[in-house]
Amino acid sequence: MSTPSENAPRTTPPRTLPRTDARTWVRDLALGARFTLAGGKEGWIRNLLTAVGVGLGVAVLLLASAVPAMMQARSDRSHDRDDMYFGEKLKPTASTMLINNTDTVYHGVDVYGRVLDPDGDKPPVPPGLSRVPAPGEMTVSPALAKLLDSSEGKLLKERLNYRVTGTIAKAGLLGPAELVYYAGSDTLTDAHATRVDTIGGARRSSEGLGAVLTLLVIIGLVVLLMPVAILIATAVRFGGERRDRRLAALRLVGADTRMTRRIAAGEALVGAVVGLVFGLGFFLLGRHFTGQIELYRLSVFPSDVRPGTGLALLIVLGVPAAAVAVTVLALRGIAIEPLGVVRNAALRKRRLWWRLLIPVAGLALLAPLFGGVQGNADLNAYQISAGAILLLVGVTAVLPWLVEMIVNRFGGGRIPWQLATRRLQLNSGASARMVNGITVAVAGAIALQMLFSGIESGFTSDTGKDPNRAQMQASVDVTDGPQATAAFQAYRTTPGVRSALGLVQTSAIPDGAAAKAKASGNPDAAGEILEFPVIVGDCAALAEIAAVGDCADGSVYRVLPDASYTTPPDISKAGARLDLNAPQSGVLTGPPRPWTVPATARTVKSRTSPNGDVQWGILATPGTLDVARTQQARATVLIKLDAQRPDAEEYVRNTTARLGESANTYTLEGTRTVRKYTSIKRGLLIGAVTTLLLIGISLLVSMLEQLRERKKLLAVLIAFGTRRSTLGLSVLWQTALPVALGLALAVIGGLGLGSVLLKMVGSPIRVDWASAATMTGVGAGVVLLVTLLSLPPLWRMMRPDGLRTE
Amino acid sequence: MTSSTPQPSTPLLSADALHKTYGPTPALDGADFTIRSGEVVAVMGPSGSGKSTLLHCLAGIVRPDAGKVLYRGEELSAMSDAARSALRRGDFGFVFQFGQLVPELTCVENVALPLRLNGAKRKEAERLATEWLHRLEVDDLGHKRPGEVSGGQGQRVAVARALVGGPRVIFADEPTGALDSLNGERVMRLLTDAARDTGAAVVLVTHEARVAAYSDREIVVRDGKSRDMERVA
Repeated sequence: MSTPSENAPRTTPPRTLPRTDARTWVRDLALGARFTLAGGKEGWIRNLLTAVGVGLGVAVLLLASAVPAMMQARSDRSHDRDDMYFGEKLKPTASTMLINNTDTVYHGVDVYGRVLDPDGDKPPVPPGLSRVPAPGEMTVSPALAKLLDSSEGKLLKERLNYRVTGTIAKAGLLGPAELVYYAGSDTLTDAHATRVDTIGGARRSSEGLGAVLTLLVIIGLVVLLMPVAILIATAVRFGGERRDRRLAALRLVGADTRMTRRIAAGEALVGAVVGLVFGLGFFLLGRHFTGQIELYRLSVFPSDVRPGTGLALLIVLGVPAAAVAVTVLALRGIAIEPLGVVRNAALRKRRLWWRLLIPVAGLALLAPLFGGVQGNADLNAYQISAGAILLLVGVTAVLPWLVEMIVNRFGGGRIPWQLATRRLQLNSGASARMVNGITVAVAGAIALQMLFSGIESGFTSDTGKDPNRAQMQASVDVTDGPQATAAFQAYRTTPGVRSALGLVQTSAIPDGAAAKAKASGNPDAAGEILEFPVIVGDCAALAEIAAVGDCADGSVYRVLPDASYTTPPDISKAGARLDLNAPQSGVLTGPPRPWTVPATARTVKSRTSPNGDVQWGILATPGTLDVARTQQARATVLIKLDAQRPDAEEYVRNTTARLGESANTYTLEGTRTVRKYTSIKRGLLIGAVTTLLLIGISLLVSMLEQLRERKKLLAVLIAFGTRRSTLGLSVLWQTALPVALGLALAVIGGLGLGSVLLKMVGSPIRVDWASAATMTGVGAGVVLLVTLLSLPPLWRMMRPDGLRTE
Repeated sequence: MTSSTPQPSTPLLSADALHKTYGPTPALDGADFTIRSGEVVAVMGPSGSGKSTLLHCLAGIVRPDAGKVLYRGEELSAMSDAARSALRRGDFGFVFQFGQLVPELTCVENVALPLRLNGAKRKEAERLATEWLHRLEVDDLGHKRPGEVSGGQGQRVAVARALVGGPRVIFADEPTGALDSLNGERVMRLLTDAARDTGAAVVLVTHEARVAAYSDREIVVRDGKSRDMERVA
């Protein structure tokens, strides 16, 4: 029962202070969301900008979260087609097959090739193939089929002299752009092929990257993903000024400060959620096209791009949460009063001390690791990531202070300069925020570049080859001299070959050793006979491997082995009798081929060959030793190419292919880089390009957003006669100043982080000024490009119709 | 509040049969207008009637689709954009309702801006600006930014900026629209007094009769057409 007084109408509302509980949060967030959705055209444009910005960031995060699965899928398929065989030699059965590795290179791109010769009717079938191709036929990857059908693949078509009868399915390919073929043959022999009974054996455990490469990957991810996080944080603040005015109106009708913050967070939440949907859309769209894109020779099947569930969930929950947090934090510097907005941050001088604490904390996390990132040391990825993130966040934290400190010293100047500096003095935070992304990206890139330079020597080794003396080497097994001569001639007449020096390499044994071995009755005796090399070539060819001095056809030389060889030097002295029929694979066949070392044989010193080898043995010119007398020799050709002739290397490879399965060719390169290092470098390059593109787009959107906020003012200034060039210049200065300061800070921060990383891997600190300048230049270039792109909209915004209010 | 200023025979600024359309909406549909030196003319009419568009056409901010605007005998539409901008810098002054002061600049810098745009040295421009701020009774605001002053004070700063270059015509678009009546009266008094002192003509767009009362003559715009009203004393 209620009393009459309780039933009486209340004349005043209850004066209880609202409690902030979950319900209040939900109510205010929902209110903010409603404002956003009912904000009319202006509101929708702002939402769209935010959603595009957040969406781009989310798409990159989803892509990054898909990398582990992508790598795993590629690795699995690589194992599935692995045909390496390490066991005892197999005997031919119905289920065995000979495989010859015929990998080649075409226009700098690797071509994976295998020639298959089944021993019976149940051979193992490589993944992606329905059957083993018949002799003379080949099954190719779609990319190779396309290349072979095009004019660009003409030379490769000559090399792969098989009829295409099928296409390899995804199961046999690492990526859609990979060039792969499996050809059928019935002429393979044990000598040049491996017999296998299975393809794709048991998974081998991954070797791991080692501490230094792991560090490189961690830092690379931090450097690439931090600008993305900054982009998302920037995007959720688009339209902040307009929103603040709207919130002031809410304060007028009774909303308190906390409530306005929650309402603002609700607005940001909508942008973030719509951004998530956009991001998913961008990601799916991008994934759809990944099959058609090849970046730095890396292609990926769309179905391999699958974000990890945990990481995807983290993105879906983390991005909206970050949007709310960023909005609430940003509003702490602003007092929204019922009659307008007061920016406390501008009135309060920015302090440096707490900003410096951030990089100091990062340094404190990384300092214990100085000198500890070596070999296979276990690394704490979280500690390294946190340290690097804090160091880079430190750069973005110091930037607003630096911009404020510098611009506050400016006064006067011409009108564009004055307008720009005054704007920066009033609110340097917005401009600093705008360039945060590029600052972090450049700082990170400089640090990474320093780390790359510092550790490169550990992953790059000198091969000892000298590409100045010969650019390619070919070799082919020959059974007699005429075959060798024909091979040399084939290379000499190949288009693009300037010279081809031929050497025939065979072995000799002391005369009578074969007879002794046979007489011993020991079946292994032939394999124990002391052999030594005999090399036949003209003077020019011999001069490449020994200091022959005066040489003429008929000359013969001895090069003694170094002390590590046990071969007695007398064995090849002048007048020594030798047998040129050395055992082949431990087996003696045919009659002896006696030859006497001429009395004119001179002992000379060896010279490192262009392929890096140091040869020894008997070096004879054809006038002394007719190559026709040798048996089972290997003909080696040192090739000099005509640098002006396009495709010279391809013509040489085609000649090699014509010479049969025992022939092979390779390019002589002075240095060799560890493949994993190259892969990581390539991956980071792809990431850097994506990040810079993203930053450019975000910068453009931020700039347009700032200009849109000032549309009315620009129109007023134009109305009373301000030249467009004056306003254009002022916008340029307003961007250029923070960018210049940001880039200067990026150089300092980048060199700092780079030095820390080098200390961690125990490398001496060396500043790579050229790289720093390049990275800074790239950053400045992106900003310049974005500024140029923003000029047409600026010109449009300066039209007088900005004055219209009705 | 009628003026006793003598009316010279040649109009300083005139418009003849102006037409202007924004999208499907005709903003001006054959509007005419004349104003002589030293004259204060109020352009009145309801919201959306085309008053502001008429002001924008008269000031050379917007080109009419048809019709002529003559300033001292020269046709504005025939002038290049640069020439019209130069005219607005030198001969015209502007006062708007909102968003007219550059928020980053101090009040004195805002007032000095038109002079500096015209090539005056900074010190000289700021000296003159300070004089005008003094004349408009806001000299204590010189070093404050627009965000730190009240609406009425800001509007007086805007009037000082409109007058500092010694314009022949001042265009005022709802100059008191955002002010209370007391501040509105004060701004109007200062604007019209200063204009009469300097001999500048004032085109005053307003929908408030009490503001129009400061004018010598009224023109009513309705549906894009104008009608010259007889001043009722």
